[in-house]
Amino acid sequence: MDDYAVGVLTNIGLFGFLAISAYLLLLAGEMSFGQQAFFGVGAYSGGMLTAMGGWPLPLAVVAAMLLGALAALMVALPTLRLRGLYFAMATLAAAEMARIGFELLHWQVELEGEQTGPDGTQGFRGIRWVLENGIEPGAYLAIIWLVLAMVVGVVIALERTRLGATLRGVGEDPELAAALGVDVTRFKLGVAAAAGALAALGGVLYAHHNTYVEPRNFDIMLGVHSLAYALIGGLGTVFGPLLGVLVDIGLLEGSRVFQGYRMIVFGGLVALLLVFRPRGLLDERTVIWLRRRLSSLTPWR
Amino acid sequence: MVKAALVVTHALALALLVPGPALAQRALAELACTPTKTDFIYDCVIHLTRGGQALTGARITVGADMPSMPMAHNVRPVEATPGKIPGEYQAMLDLEMPGEWAVKLRLAGPVRDQLILLYDFDDKGAHPVTRSGRPHRK
Repeated sequence: MDDYAVGVLTNIGLFGFLAISAYLLLLAGEMSFGQQAFFGVGAYSGGMLTAMGGWPLPLAVVAAMLLGALAALMVALPTLRLRGLYFAMATLAAAEMARIGFELLHWQVELEGEQTGPDGTQGFRGIRWVLENGIEPGAYLAIIWLVLAMVVGVVIALERTRLGATLRGVGEDPELAAALGVDVTRFKLGVAAAAGALAALGGVLYAHHNTYVEPRNFDIMLGVHSLAYALIGGLGTVFGPLLGVLVDIGLLEGSRVFQGYRMIVFGGLVALLLVFRPRGLLDERTVIWLRRRLSSLTPWR
Repeated sequence: MVKAALVVTHALALALLVPGPALAQRALAELACTPTKTDFIYDCVIHLTRGGQALTGARITVGADMPSMPMAHNVRPVEATPGKIPGEYQAMLDLEMPGEWAVKLRLAGPVRDQLILLYDFDDKGAHPVTRSGRPHRK
């Protein structure tokens, strides 16, 4: 596999974490424009732990996920009382506060004669754990996809349980779910924390792939993309947001022939897609139809 | 199947938990780019040094990403070729738009590292990005 293919597949995998993070919140009936903040929390905290603290990456991943979950809880606690557009605006404001926080973060230590650590708008470079451990880009790609496959597996397993049914119930009709005895606020806080941890997982893997992060990496553009993936791909299954990432990056890469007009063409194609498939490519109806088709093709089931 | 997956996961975690060797003295790079006749394609010269000396014999793969749109641009990485003087390497960068790019130099050979250079690309060439009144360090 050449460097270009490895790069594209790595980016698809990394975006996958953010897309699934946004998908979980959408299932719970909340539209967040702020998942990039937790991606940033993961990137910065994971990078600081390995580059400055000398932690091994797996431990840094766990710590970054916990911090991502904690940060998401801190945002969700005061904002979950809001609904719809107001919640979306509050999450965007929180994400911008986090980005500005990264701009104000100056904490460097001298390692091997080099200043290492976050340096405000100058960014944070030297996150070299993957390089220093001889992990080649192809091997790191395999690690990213293995972790993503594990996440997808966990989400699929959860969706088949009572918890998954409750999640969709809370998202579709929170009043009915509450009448059935579900503590909706507590449930949504749990979902927000899980989504934050997942975004942080993507962030820590991104920082170690790139070796450099800066506050501008985590601005609104990343949040819009993550939400768009879930909406384009559809909310019928966890494969929806992943399909959204594939369609987005596939359209972007496929429209290279348009050169400078590529982003305009890409935007038009996304708009057309949403006109004809307003609930995404893999919406609930399509997923049910696909499941019926699959079970009719396998009569022994 | 589940047992095999657990074994693979444990092996992967153990392999990742072992700290690796620290890198030797860091390499530094500077970039000088001139626009070509084709839009967004730049002819770039990279000056690579280590410990104040020109670094020769390095294999450099040059890629780029936009900090404001991370992962959204998949610029095809190119191999830099050695230039006329020691420590000089040349590469043609095919970017998609003007603006600020994080040029990624992946080094192999005498030194293994990844350097990130922040440059602003326009119709005159590439200029180091300045923030807070000082140029971005290499």
